[in-house]
Amino acid sequence: MAKRRLRISTPPRSDTDIDVMKLFWMGFRDGFSLPAFMVSASMIGYGALVHSAGMDIFIAIVSTIGIWGLPGQVAFIEYVLLGAPVASILLAVSLANMRFLPMSLSLVPLFRNSESGWRWRYLWAQFMSVNTWVGLLRKIPDLTPDQRGPYYAGFSTICMIAGSGGTTLGFLMAETLPFFVTVTLVFINPIYFAFVFAAMRARACLIAFAAGALTGPLFYLLSPEWSLPMCGIVAGTVGFYADRMLRRFA
Amino acid sequence: MTDVIGSNATTAPWVLLILAISVTYLWRGLGTAIAARIDPESDFLQWIACVAYGLLAGLISRIIILPVGILEGTELVDRVGATAFGFVLFFIFRRNIGVGTLSAAGMFMLLVWLRAQGIL
Repeated sequence: MAKRRLRISTPPRSDTDIDVMKLFWMGFRDGFSLPAFMVSASMIGYGALVHSAGMDIFIAIVSTIGIWGLPGQVAFIEYVLLGAPVASILLAVSLANMRFLPMSLSLVPLFRNSESGWRWRYLWAQFMSVNTWVGLLRKIPDLTPDQRGPYYAGFSTICMIAGSGGTTLGFLMAETLPFFVTVTLVFINPIYFAFVFAAMRARACLIAFAAGALTGPLFYLLSPEWSLPMCGIVAGTVGFYADRMLRRFA
Repeated sequence: MTDVIGSNATTAPWVLLILAISVTYLWRGLGTAIAARIDPESDFLQWIACVAYGLLAGLISRIIILPVGILEGTELVDRVGATAFGFVLFFIFRRNIGVGTLSAAGMFMLLVWLRAQGIL
């Protein structure tokens, strides 16, 4: 019975007490490289965008910490700028952030046997971004369940600091940033995640990712509002079953 | 209430922001609430993870191919060309995420700059 497919399996629980601070710093350090660097870069682009929209710096920082997902943040700023009706702004932001549902569904159960992880789960859900989500999923094989909470806390704290710091910096530097720089910083966000996912080792995830990348724009042409859930369910199911079938023939 | 919903975004940005944060947290909180019933070792969890990957992939490729907002001001061929360039280096450097991202972003910046200069 191949239960270890996605590498989100559970190593046996350790009997020794865990060193919370050590794990927190381990997560902090792991985040304090490419993930934090890329978050701050794309949030510099976002900060500059908010400045050019004529909104104040507090809106910029609070939207980064509160929405904590670039596509939704960008949608928010642009719809407000367009003077769109409130209902349509909220619909756009909500749909752009729908990914947080399957993400939290797959992340939070991993905290089941982590005391701090489970107690603070509603806070960790707010700290969750693509970065922290994939950061924990990749690290799961090396962590016992009770180590996950503190590790994730450290990892997502540095990402949050880098994100809000980047937003502030981008807002303050906005007038010195030419268009080609701002637009590149915004472009870094999707491109970075494309590579993070392409570097995954789990076959089911890779197949789902490839299927989603190919069909995403097509679903969008079909229905801009519902393209994301449709694409996710179709591509995810393809990846899940393709992996099982390949396993059977291997 | 109908006044607020129907009105335009002359509504204070702060009110809109708090509403936007709430609708975003709705997804996070809903997932967290349901998560209590999901077995971390189950096939269902693995399927959900696949769905998340598929959805994120769809979002990323849609942003690159059919962007809305600031990226709309750039050319499709620049975005796709820079991405392809990044993937070539990504594989040459044994799937190195940093090399892929920075080379794609660097190429993209160069292409946008060349267009702004009227060279391309």
